Amino acid sequence: METLLGIKGPDFVMLAADTTHARSIIVMKEDQNKIHKVSDSLLISTVGESGDTEQFTEFISKNIALYKMRNGYDLSPRESAHFTRKNLAEYLRSRTPYQVFMFVAGYDPNAGPELTFIDYLANALPVNYAGHGYGAIFASSIYDRYWHPNITQAEAYDVFKKCIAEIQKRLVVNLKNFTVAVVDKDGVRDLEPISAASLAA
Amino acid sequence: MSILAYNGGCVVAMRGKDCVAIATDHRFGIQAQTISTDFKKVFHIGPRMFLGLTGLQTDILTVRDRLMFRKNLYETRENREMCPKPFSAMMSSFLYEHRFGPYFIEPVVAGLDPKTMEPFICNMDLIGCPNAPDDFVVAGTCAEQLYGMCETLWKPDLEPDQLFEVIAQSIVNAFDRDAMSGWGATVYIIEKDKITERTLKTRMD
Amino acid sequence: MSSRYDRAVTIFSPDGHLLQVEYAQEAVRKGSTAVGVRGANCVVLGVEKKSVAQLQEDRKVRKICMLDNHVVMAFAGLTADARIMINRAQVECQSHRLNVEDPVTLEYITRFIAQLKQKYTQSNGRRPFGISCLIGGFDADGSAHLFQTEPSGIFYEYKANATGRSAKVVREFFEKSYREEEVANEHGAVKLAIRALLEVAQSGQNNLEVAIMENGKPLKMLDTDVITDYVKIIEKEKEEELEKKKQKK
Repeated sequence: METLLGIKGPDFVMLAADTTHARSIIVMKEDQNKIHKVSDSLLISTVGESGDTEQFTEFISKNIALYKMRNGYDLSPRESAHFTRKNLAEYLRSRTPYQVFMFVAGYDPNAGPELTFIDYLANALPVNYAGHGYGAIFASSIYDRYWHPNITQAEAYDVFKKCIAEIQKRLVVNLKNFTVAVVDKDGVRDLEPISAASLAA
Repeated sequence: MSILAYNGGCVVAMRGKDCVAIATDHRFGIQAQTISTDFKKVFHIGPRMFLGLTGLQTDILTVRDRLMFRKNLYETRENREMCPKPFSAMMSSFLYEHRFGPYFIEPVVAGLDPKTMEPFICNMDLIGCPNAPDDFVVAGTCAEQLYGMCETLWKPDLEPDQLFEVIAQSIVNAFDRDAMSGWGATVYIIEKDKITERTLKTRMD
Repeated sequence: MSSRYDRAVTIFSPDGHLLQVEYAQEAVRKGSTAVGVRGANCVVLGVEKKSVAQLQEDRKVRKICMLDNHVVMAFAGLTADARIMINRAQVECQSHRLNVEDPVTLEYITRFIAQLKQKYTQSNGRRPFGISCLIGGFDADGSAHLFQTEPSGIFYEYKANATGRSAKVVREFFEKSYREEEVANEHGAVKLAIRALLEVAQSGQNNLEVAIMENGKPLKMLDTDVITDYVKIIEKEKEEELEKKKQKK
């Protein structure tokens, strides 16, 4: 039901996530942030089984913080994604697997931006653009049409707008509001949310 | 539907005269939806050794990482390079350790023995039953098509450039008849003194 | 008196000493000398081998061991204890790769080794490791590092250091003769390490073991004749030095 979107540009990664928290047929709240700031240059966006999402993201982000505390340097986005995937894969074959879908997005001063797609089976892949959830079905063709290697942050934001307009038009589920965040050389930062209202304006 | 066909993809390896070739497609999908078209399922794991893994992508990554763990430890402890044969034996026992909760992969190993330069290819099922023939091995969602192509095109003692042509034609024409594989391919030719990597442009649909 | 306080590692003596740990340090002081020099873009480790029994097969690599592609370790003290430590460290190096994909940093693996040693000074039914380790190698950013750990579990980073028998003499030698410009290249760093070993070597030049690591390259163990060449150069320089002194007089 819930939807995550992600775009990597030449020097940034942008994430968008809807803010709906629903339980069976009832919408519990409309302002849930699903993009978590893990460190100065790392974002993790998570959807999936509610509860699992919070628990697993917290577990990962606290461990990444602990690694920094112990060793005096941060894990790079690539290392963080690898660590996340490995933990998810280990839980997959335990009695208590986490059912989460996520993007690990970060900016490494040396290696540049990194966007990693991870699903609940711990299938993982660095990508230029991708989505999770039903909304992603509509997004993929829009990405294919508008993404290019030198995409700017403004263009990426526009692509998200196009995706979200399409999701709100065609998807039977009502996803009113999307938060957007970006990570680049200056760190992580929230952008203006995209909502039905802001799209209409 | 089989979990081995959840992500799609295929790998094939062939023996030639004093050389071996291994090829992979580029697709990574989740069932029918293609997520990415640059996921290579073949990994360069030694100076003259390649490991191809098809099946569930999460297990491709896990098995690759865990095998590299064991191989690196072997190499630092023994202070020598690991040959394809013991590597395959190690992989076989590793997979059988998980006999009753297996990793959903079908591995392919291709390489030259570092001492004798003897070509070696090998594949296994998901619980590690090894098979090391002297012609070719296939794995993935289009294994049947690959068998057909290889059976038709392969012959003994192919030179490196002939072998490239045979393996390239085999994989391209096999995965063009499979919706779960394809979207580009990469071929590696391993010879005594060099490794050639070639990317194939194929149908992207 | 002390006999009551050195029964278990976990018991302090009234004056605040852990006697077992100090005995372990004594084992290190009795061990054959190991030296390490950090050059501008290389790390050199050297040890004095025990002389080999007449009928014993001399195995090449004994006291200088790889922990990972980019980490090498030498030690002084109980060799049998060191084997255990090396094993644990090698597994940790690979575990780190398995967990976060990238190789360990030098500080990380040193801290791991130090932590393990410390654990053995505070757990029941254990005794401390009777070894001091010199750990050299490169971080992913290409910088060279040299660390030392002791049985108590402390560790420090050095430009050059020694451990084992007459380590103090060698350390003083390093303090006197270490110059950045001299170790700027591989040749100078190796020479300094061999000179240091010769200061204290008991069985002479024939029982030296020297290894060089450069960034991104496999560990290189020096052949006996290469070491002999270095020794010749060093001896020649020494003679020249003496000549000069004589002339001055």
